[in-house]
Amino acid sequence: MRLPDGYQERVFTPQQARSVEAVWRHEELQAGRSLILPDGRCDVIVRYNADPMVVPRLVVSGPATQPYWVTFEAGDRWIGVRLRPERGGVLWGDDLGCAKDQVALEDEAEDLVPELAGLCVAGVSAKDLRQALVRFVEGRPLSPEGHRAGESVRRVHLTGGRFSVAELAARAGCSTRHLNRMFAGTVGLSVKTYASLVRFHRALRLVCEAGGSLSDAAFEAGYADQAHMTRAMRRFGGFVPSDIPEGLIRPDVSGGLWGNRAA
Amino acid sequence: MKLGYTIIYVKNVPETVAFYEAAFGLTQRFMHESTLYAEMETGDTVLSFSAEEVIELDGLAFAPNEKSAIPAGWEICFITEDVPDAFEKALAAGCSPVSKPHEVPWGQTISYVRDLNGCLVEIATPMNLEG
Repeated sequence: MRLPDGYQERVFTPQQARSVEAVWRHEELQAGRSLILPDGRCDVIVRYNADPMVVPRLVVSGPATQPYWVTFEAGDRWIGVRLRPERGGVLWGDDLGCAKDQVALEDEAEDLVPELAGLCVAGVSAKDLRQALVRFVEGRPLSPEGHRAGESVRRVHLTGGRFSVAELAARAGCSTRHLNRMFAGTVGLSVKTYASLVRFHRALRLVCEAGGSLSDAAFEAGYADQAHMTRAMRRFGGFVPSDIPEGLIRPDVSGGLWGNRAA
Repeated sequence: MKLGYTIIYVKNVPETVAFYEAAFGLTQRFMHESTLYAEMETGDTVLSFSAEEVIELDGLAFAPNEKSAIPAGWEICFITEDVPDAFEKALAAGCSPVSKPHEVPWGQTISYVRDLNGCLVEIATPMNLEG
């Protein structure tokens, strides 16, 4: 596509969104629950409520590979930072290997991010929370290995998860074993699992927005056949392609131009 | 220098020419007697198709275009006023859909398909170039 000259808003690509930690905010006015799709990334979240007497809670998630439900009360609010995929190691350190699909709460969370422990008091302002999260990110820089892993993460996204681990390793100039070790220490998932997640999200988008059949979407996403796509959607979404839940929230790994589209 | 040609390397040139005529309404301008090279009528900047096997004549090598593989990192873009119609016509001719017609924030309508060789083709409305 041709980007327009003179258009006021800055074009913000998904790659840019993935390359910085963005502090996000969310609020639910009514009680309910939402299905959150996994995207292999870690979050540091403070959950609080419009009622200032509710004590904020710190939540640290490991790289997610399974969908999960979040239940909430009226007035519940979240402020958090979704970390770059290659930042998992910066957050979890030596515990990254056990962090997959884990959520650390309370003491465990405060041990992981002691910089944020002081936030869990009644009456703390959203502004304080935001500033603390930004400082936290700035205070933990990425290692050289993290930067290297980030280059492969970029390739996984550009190729829609269709490149094999062998091809990714070849382009990274290392062996598949080395690339997997690098991912294990930074992303906290195998290269294959991360690529599978990216492929799943692209397939979901194709099913919703390509304008073709399910079989077209499966083929373009790089699945051997529609059955393989169905299996991936069951695994990562808990649904089948022909029955995607209404108003599904896809993780905001998109850039700022098109926004976050519900299914 | 002047941009002379965009040349896509394909397995079968006559098949690709026929496909582009049906899918995108282009017309052939030239076909070499060997059928290893053809040009479409596209004005000053020529869209050409060349048989893959030709590159070995010059010792070149590349990643071949394949429908079943991920496409190369480039596209050709056709401009038209009626994108949905052109999109349907492309699919009817055998293109695979990648992104159905949709409006982007600056008012252009864009869409993407892949052609018979797996190449990325965009179909879009003209850019509004007035200030």
